[in-house]
Amino acid sequence: MHIMEGFLPLPWAVFWWVVALPCLAFGIYQLKRILSADREALPLLGVTGGFIFILSSLKLPSVTGSCSHPTGTGLSAVCFGPFVTSVICAIVLLFQSLFLAHGGLSTLGANIISMGVIGPVAGWAVYRVLRDTRVHVYLTIFSACAIADLVTYVVTSLELALAYPAEVGGVASSFVLFLGIFAITQVPLAIVEGIVLALVFKYIVTLKPEILVRLRVFPEEKIRAAAGDAQ
Amino acid sequence: MYEEILEDIAHNSALRETNTAVKLATGTGAILLCLLSPGFLAPLFVAVTLVLALVFLARVDIHTLLHVYTAPALFALFSILAIVLVSGGGECFWRWQPFPWFALSLSRDGINQGTLVLARFAGGTTALAFIALTTPMTDLFAVMKRARIPDEVTDLAMIIYRTIFVIMAHVVQVYRAQVMRLGYSTFRESVRSFATLCGAVFIASWEAGEDLVRAMEARCYDGKFAVLGRDRPPAPLSVAAVTLFFLTTGALAVTTAEITLL
Repeated sequence: MHIMEGFLPLPWAVFWWVVALPCLAFGIYQLKRILSADREALPLLGVTGGFIFILSSLKLPSVTGSCSHPTGTGLSAVCFGPFVTSVICAIVLLFQSLFLAHGGLSTLGANIISMGVIGPVAGWAVYRVLRDTRVHVYLTIFSACAIADLVTYVVTSLELALAYPAEVGGVASSFVLFLGIFAITQVPLAIVEGIVLALVFKYIVTLKPEILVRLRVFPEEKIRAAAGDAQ
Repeated sequence: MYEEILEDIAHNSALRETNTAVKLATGTGAILLCLLSPGFLAPLFVAVTLVLALVFLARVDIHTLLHVYTAPALFALFSILAIVLVSGGGECFWRWQPFPWFALSLSRDGINQGTLVLARFAGGTTALAFIALTTPMTDLFAVMKRARIPDEVTDLAMIIYRTIFVIMAHVVQVYRAQVMRLGYSTFRESVRSFATLCGAVFIASWEAGEDLVRAMEARCYDGKFAVLGRDRPPAPLSVAAVTLFFLTTGALAVTTAEITLL
């Protein structure tokens, strides 16, 4: 869920850029560390970015009839970690604004924080909590992706509420209204995205489980067990 | 569905050969002026001027341009509605307060605030579309190199850019095959087909990455990509036109600051 160009007043646009820059700097530091250790990682990270871009430009089957796109950041955070996801996501968000006119340049900082930092971190945290429990891998992926999407929508609502506080009740009241309005599209979208990405995971487990073993997404025996369930 | 990428239009734009810095300055300067303007007329002027520039100078099809606004329109509709309802002040036309801490109202200041945000959205999105529809991404990589953005980020951006087109070709093939087999006929079928499509794309992406590693190693890749920037010097006429546009918008922003819709 992107905040479109022109929606944030200048002070808030600058504020979110200032918040986003240290996160990006840390992500770039992590990226440099990964690339100095393994040069082959660059093309793989590149295709991950391409995958997120394509995934986010596909129209998701929608129950509300709205034009909805998955974020794909939950799956990326699970597979590649939240910090690298933030750098990839920043590049993808820039491409989305310049390829598809989704999002914006002044609102890029706010969108990086919601879609590239806090959403993926929340999805990754859920995955880390559930990863070593007895919860099934598909349910873990569903929860991580749906939570990443929901948290992105909550943070976006908060960013808008901070910029446009209500006359009565201030930021809290405005936050409730933005949450309520966007819930119409975003809650079904998060559930459908969770289901779709869990099915995507099942497809990969069935056809190419070695990718997930190499990325150490789950212990090998858990992936083998899931592959057995899928067949 | 997938062919709506604006990059192809940018490559065929009549402003393709115009200096990249001038086009970027026009778009980003216009966005900044829209945000700085306290009134709604200056952002509207930006929107109208840049639409005319896109249609008559860049020769962009008007239907394509309208299509650019459809994706953000839903977000704009919901958000502006919320901004109008929570922003009170001035004469109140309607009010509903279900809780002491929560009230919705339709007031003069709320409608004026909504109009300003709508105008900024129109101006900002048109400015963004101006960059998107006239400047191919390959021109921006040269700008990123000159702006001293870390090489790792520029290289990653270039690989993402390249991969998008490789994967997109794959997506179009799979999607068309699914549509031909009624893969999107019901909601349940759509979810299943969409998941299969995404899974196939993930695996294709991974394999494309492995192929790329092999191809780059075979060509003695040493960790740095070369960027061949081919940019024309800025034409005096285009610089003068952009300066005039900025000065007019700035003057309009100052003189119409107090004008509101109601």
